[in-house]
Amino acid sequence: MASLLVLGAGKLALGDMLFILISFILLSLAVKHYAWGPVTKMMDARSEKISGDLDYADQERARADKLSKEREEALKNSRAEAIEIVNKAKDNGDSQKKAIVADAHSEAENVRTKAKQDAEKAKQDAMQDAQDDIANLSLEIASKVISKELNADDQKSLIDSYIKELTVNNETK
Amino acid sequence: MDDKYKFIDFLGLRFNVANDLSALVAAILVFILVFSLSRKITMKPGKAQNVLEWMIDFTDGIVKSAFPDGSGSRFSLYAFVLFLFIFVSNQLGLIFQIKVDGFTYIKSPTTNPIVTMSLALVSLMLAHYYSVKKFGFGTYLSNYARPVSFLLPINLLEEFTNFLTLSLRLYGNIFAGEVLLALIGTVAKSFGLVSFVIAIPVEMIWQGFSVFIGAIQAYVFTTLSMVYISRKMEKE
Repeated sequence: MASLLVLGAGKLALGDMLFILISFILLSLAVKHYAWGPVTKMMDARSEKISGDLDYADQERARADKLSKEREEALKNSRAEAIEIVNKAKDNGDSQKKAIVADAHSEAENVRTKAKQDAEKAKQDAMQDAQDDIANLSLEIASKVISKELNADDQKSLIDSYIKELTVNNETK
Repeated sequence: MDDKYKFIDFLGLRFNVANDLSALVAAILVFILVFSLSRKITMKPGKAQNVLEWMIDFTDGIVKSAFPDGSGSRFSLYAFVLFLFIFVSNQLGLIFQIKVDGFTYIKSPTTNPIVTMSLALVSLMLAHYYSVKKFGFGTYLSNYARPVSFLLPINLLEEFTNFLTLSLRLYGNIFAGEVLLALIGTVAKSFGLVSFVIAIPVEMIWQGFSVFIGAIQAYVFTTLSMVYISRKMEKE
């Protein structure tokens, strides 16, 4: 090694140094232009893209989470609403049913009472008619029998009282 | 060794043809390697681009370990080219050596101390240049007296030992490797067929080991260059 340094006939191998230096610099420039530049640029672009994609994915996930939460909420609400509607309808139906039944009951009651009243009235009318007829008949009979001019009204009240006794007796029987 | 070299004197400078030609071949090989790997640069890397990016990541890792604050990105290209150039230079002599009429023309350029010293000089010049650029010349000079002033001679001496160790480590490793390869070669020729058969596996083993050494030395040289540059760029 010493010979290499010294034995250059008094000359240092500066030429080699220069040659190495220049070729190294040229190599660096060529590598930078043809390979290093494009590749590092692409690597930077890729890392940027990846971080951008990751950010985008985060955002999208947050949005999807929010959406699904909202949807779940809406679903829960709609279920509750549906239950409420069904309950309401059931209640409505129940109350309507009760009302209808009550109406029907009361109407039937009315009809019955009316019918009873009618029957009663008819019965009384018939009784009245019968009483009148019997009174007149008996009056006529009596007038004919007794031939005594009797006051028709007195006679009638007398007969009524008889008939009443009669009916009372009949009913007790 | 007893290799003979052709010298050319040109403009008062002395050129060793073997050194220059080998360095040129190494540089061209590096360029061909990198050029062929970088033909299709796409967002989704192909095989070639992956290899290239792996190498870039490797040298970037060296730079980042020397500059933990991330300020060393401007040296990434230098580290990349330096590493590839030294690596290819180290392997060049293992693959082929060309001798014509007893004169060596192609060998590992790093088997010559001048070449390794040139490379070390480039690294250390970069270190001093960026130190002056960062601190200004006054602070750059006063940095030699840090952390305490009596370390000034040791710091000055360190600049020379840095230079020598950086260059001679590379030179010594590669030169010794090739000397041993040549020795094994002479052993192979000494006793005819018997020694030839014995020497072949030994030569193969040593060649494999030299590939390993060449890679390690390229890594060490690049790492130490980056460390020297980063140490010059901080106040101790």
